[in-house]
Amino acid sequence: MDEQRPNPEGLLGELTKSDEKRGKLKIFFGYAAGVGKTYAMLDEAHELLSNGVDVVAGYIEPHTRAETMHLLEGIPALPPQRINYKNIELREFDLDAALRRHPKIILVDELAHTNANGVRNRKRYQDVEELLDAGIDVYTTLNVQHLESLNNIVSDITKITVNETVPDSIFDRANKVKIVDVEPDELLLRFEEGKIYRPDRAEIAMDNFFSRDNLRLLREIAVRKAADRISHENLNVKQISEKLADAKLIACVSHSPSSAKCIRWAARMAESFYIPWAAVYVEDMDPEDLSTEQKECKRSNLELAERLGAEIVTLSGVDAATAVSEYARLSGITNIVIGKHRRRSWFKADFEERLIGLLPNAEIHVMPDSKPSKKEAGLRARWKANWREEWSANINFSLQDLLISVLLIALATSISYLLKLAAIGDQNIIMVYILSVLLISRFTKGFLYGILSSIISVFLFNFFYTVPYFTFNAIAPGYPITFVIMLAAAIITSTLTGRVKKQARLAVQREQRVKKLYDINRKLLATRGTQNIIDLINDYLARLFGSSVIFYTNPGSKDAGTVLAAAGDDPEFLMHADEKAVANWSYLNKKEAGQGTDTLSGAKAFYIPVVSQGKSLGVIGLSCTKDKLNQDSRSFLQQIVAQTALALERQVLSASQYNAKVTAEKEEMRSNLLHAISHDLRTPLTGILGASSTILENSDSIPDEEKKKLLMNIKDDSSWLIRMIENLLSITRISEDGTSLVKSSEAVEEIISEAAARIRQRFPEIKLSVHVPEEVLIAPMDPILIEQVLINLLENAIKHNSVNTEISLQVKRVQDSVEFEIRDFGSGIRADDLPHLFDGLPSKDSSPDALRGFGIGLSICKSIIDAHGGKIEALNNFDCKPAPPSGRIDESAQGALHGETRKAEVEPSAVCGATFRFSLPLRDDDFGQ
Amino acid sequence: MILDNKLLILIVEDEDTINNFIASMLSSNDYQYVKARSGAEALAMAASEVPDLILLDMGLPDIDGSEVIQKLRSWSSVPIIVVSARGHEQEKVKALDLGADDYVTKPFGTHELLARIRTALRHSNNRPANSEEIKQLNFGQLHIDLERRLVTLAGSDVHFTPIEYKILVLLARNAGKVLTHDFIIKQVWGPYTNENQALRVNMANIRRKIEKNHAEPKYIRTEVGVGYRMVEN
Repeated sequence: MDEQRPNPEGLLGELTKSDEKRGKLKIFFGYAAGVGKTYAMLDEAHELLSNGVDVVAGYIEPHTRAETMHLLEGIPALPPQRINYKNIELREFDLDAALRRHPKIILVDELAHTNANGVRNRKRYQDVEELLDAGIDVYTTLNVQHLESLNNIVSDITKITVNETVPDSIFDRANKVKIVDVEPDELLLRFEEGKIYRPDRAEIAMDNFFSRDNLRLLREIAVRKAADRISHENLNVKQISEKLADAKLIACVSHSPSSAKCIRWAARMAESFYIPWAAVYVEDMDPEDLSTEQKECKRSNLELAERLGAEIVTLSGVDAATAVSEYARLSGITNIVIGKHRRRSWFKADFEERLIGLLPNAEIHVMPDSKPSKKEAGLRARWKANWREEWSANINFSLQDLLISVLLIALATSISYLLKLAAIGDQNIIMVYILSVLLISRFTKGFLYGILSSIISVFLFNFFYTVPYFTFNAIAPGYPITFVIMLAAAIITSTLTGRVKKQARLAVQREQRVKKLYDINRKLLATRGTQNIIDLINDYLARLFGSSVIFYTNPGSKDAGTVLAAAGDDPEFLMHADEKAVANWSYLNKKEAGQGTDTLSGAKAFYIPVVSQGKSLGVIGLSCTKDKLNQDSRSFLQQIVAQTALALERQVLSASQYNAKVTAEKEEMRSNLLHAISHDLRTPLTGILGASSTILENSDSIPDEEKKKLLMNIKDDSSWLIRMIENLLSITRISEDGTSLVKSSEAVEEIISEAAARIRQRFPEIKLSVHVPEEVLIAPMDPILIEQVLINLLENAIKHNSVNTEISLQVKRVQDSVEFEIRDFGSGIRADDLPHLFDGLPSKDSSPDALRGFGIGLSICKSIIDAHGGKIEALNNFDCKPAPPSGRIDESAQGALHGETRKAEVEPSAVCGATFRFSLPLRDDDFGQ
Repeated sequence: MILDNKLLILIVEDEDTINNFIASMLSSNDYQYVKARSGAEALAMAASEVPDLILLDMGLPDIDGSEVIQKLRSWSSVPIIVVSARGHEQEKVKALDLGADDYVTKPFGTHELLARIRTALRHSNNRPANSEEIKQLNFGQLHIDLERRLVTLAGSDVHFTPIEYKILVLLARNAGKVLTHDFIIKQVWGPYTNENQALRVNMANIRRKIEKNHAEPKYIRTEVGVGYRMVEN
């Protein structure tokens, strides 16, 4: 647990860090239109301008107050964006222009404004968020009734529902809130003078909103809200860690519109106590059974809760009270907010009563469902219509179901007839009919066939098996009761069966999801490599949602994304630049975007960023051409994306871990090298020092012959040292990945001939034959380094054999590369040494002195060839055929020389010399860049 | 003022060991020498002592070797041999392009250095009698008749393309001297061209025509990373 818990200081550090980059938000907060927010804002802007601050008016709503409009003069303003909507030209704030202009401070009026269709963001506060993210300070205005959590209180007071709302989080995050206050009487006076609304609209507003009582109440709410903010400011630091604790407050959300009140109340309460909270939705029936209205309502409720800062929890269970109490007990919830209808239910105990029974220790807050407003009443009426609709949906005619019903009832009738013939009582006949109804309910869709067959069964029973037979009359006094009981039993059986069936279906569906998630998780754990993870997720998403998927790891770059088309879905549009722009927005802002969201909803796909630890690792786009994603699949998608984020993060971590490992290995290699070198260097230096001091101290007594020998030793040792150092220096010319290599197009033969000439200079008696092809081979390389490789390999061949050994150096073209081959006809390489030849370490049991510089020279060769993107290998020859005197080895003989079959046939004792072979690419992709 | 008729060589080198060893080698081969330990000293001594040749180490404590060459070349055409470490090919190319006559790579043998000094001195002596008046150039079995534009190898004619001929003559006229790739390209193709690869290919073709084994050339040697040198007789 400790590891998961972020270090508060680190968190604070991060906050302040992000604060540096993020712009500051200042809100001019008022309780009603006309209090002078815009005026105060413009006034302050003028002051800043005169101080030389870069202030730009982003968008100011046209006001009727002359003073305000007058103040606008002198402030540089951005021209508004003109949007053509249904042939009406609308003026909107031009976000992109503002981002391009990037002033220090921008003024954006009316935070709660809803943008016209066609603008990137649906709400202006989203524009403001983007400005802040870009590091621009924003000044804006806001009225109290537009605050989400206060929305219903205000509408209760004023009887006017405000649709344009701003999430409280924006208000809470504002760096400064300035209350613009004026006495209600003064405001009314302004209002009457027509300074707030044009006279024609003033009257309507006056009646509804601008009453003295309303204004006084609104003022109080606004001031209290601001005061709450102040008290929180003092608490903020301490509360951060507590915010991480488990939720203590939950609001029970249903799919009724009245839940919104419950949610807002919970949000306010959570805020005032500064505790986190959750909105709990209990799925007690098949989500498919909800009407579209109900689904929409559920979605908007959950969205509202999310906007107000709630965690969304979806529980499933037949009994809501049990599910909620179970969750509350497990999560240590102390306060539960529920809504309550005034409608009384006679049959079962009320939800709240059951909850109280189940959770005696929790506080239950009951929100009375206020008198349905007109809008809600309208909704109710529509619900009823929907209910009917639903019924008709349940009564779906199917020939198959009809056939099943008719057959089963006929069967029941015939069995009953047999029973009657056998004279085994009426009760059994009733049982047979009820069984048939049960079976019909089981095997048909909806309630219709079950209920219809219940009724028909009763009639058939009446017709065939009650006296008088073959009439619908029943004379026996007990029969009506029998019919009623039989009908009731049949109907209850059929509805119960239907429900059980539905429950089973729901459970199966839920289980499938959990299984799928588990499946994905398991596969992700076993997957390595970013591209593999992407392919896996794409595959799952395309199959689960039946839509095409696109996965970008960085849509801002050239990354074309990985697309997977679902059956019957054309993914072409996903690749379009417009769609990619949406993906990029989502990636950069770490928010969902595209269809079904508030941002860039014109897109044809839904984009969800893959975020881990506050960092975007990618973005997934899901095509919505078939239908919009509902809340359900969206939350399922979120779960999958969360797992993807984890997997990707693990990938990133393991990559950096791998790098660390590589670095450590390199470090080890370097220290090994250093170790080997210092030993190698010490030996000749000791020789030089010894020989020179011998000559200096005994110059008279040593015979000239001896002196000359000592001097020769000094010369040999020092030239060895020089070669060694040249080798070491060549390492500094290459970096591990070869990027620092300065390559030029060089004729291979020139390098070969120079290397040969230098070797001949040092070993005049060498038996070296050099062969290059007629074709001029030109390859990109660092010529000095390749020359070094050739010299090292030739020297190696001489050193490990006698100087009389024949050595051939030849080069040829092999497809797209040039192959160099140095072959000697000496004693070959010991099998033990072969695998470690290029490791840079002398073999364990060989005396280092005898093989001075043996490993280092070769390991340097390998690094050089690696840096050139080539390959180097060493092998023993199994053919003692000496090189042709001309140095020419024809291709066919060469092929046989190293043929695999020969190698297998010949005994190791037949080893005859060694071959070192390396190749360089003839073309270099990054050459010339 | 040294009145001897021995040639005077200015050694510019800040390392005493190397300085001493070059000095003793020169005096035992009948040259006179003066030593300078810094670039500034070198410039002053070049003016006061008027040496016949300057041996210039590129890594000097005060000013960059190439700057010394530049300053010297503004008033003097004294032969300059640059001493530079292996791997510093760009430095050599720069020095040669600035007007140095030749270079030796550290570490060098005495034979090598003395050969370079002799070549450089001979070139500077021949300078007035240079260019136009020479009608024939001979390198072992290779004869170049500049008037008739004819090249023969062991008596038989060898045919060259105009470009190949131009390159061959350029190298032959400067036999013993290293010509940088850039210098050759500018002389043959003109300025503002990048014919690096073409030069390599032409050179390969020339070698296939005049060398017995083009893998081990006798006439034109490659100075890896720097340029080409026509071997003197």
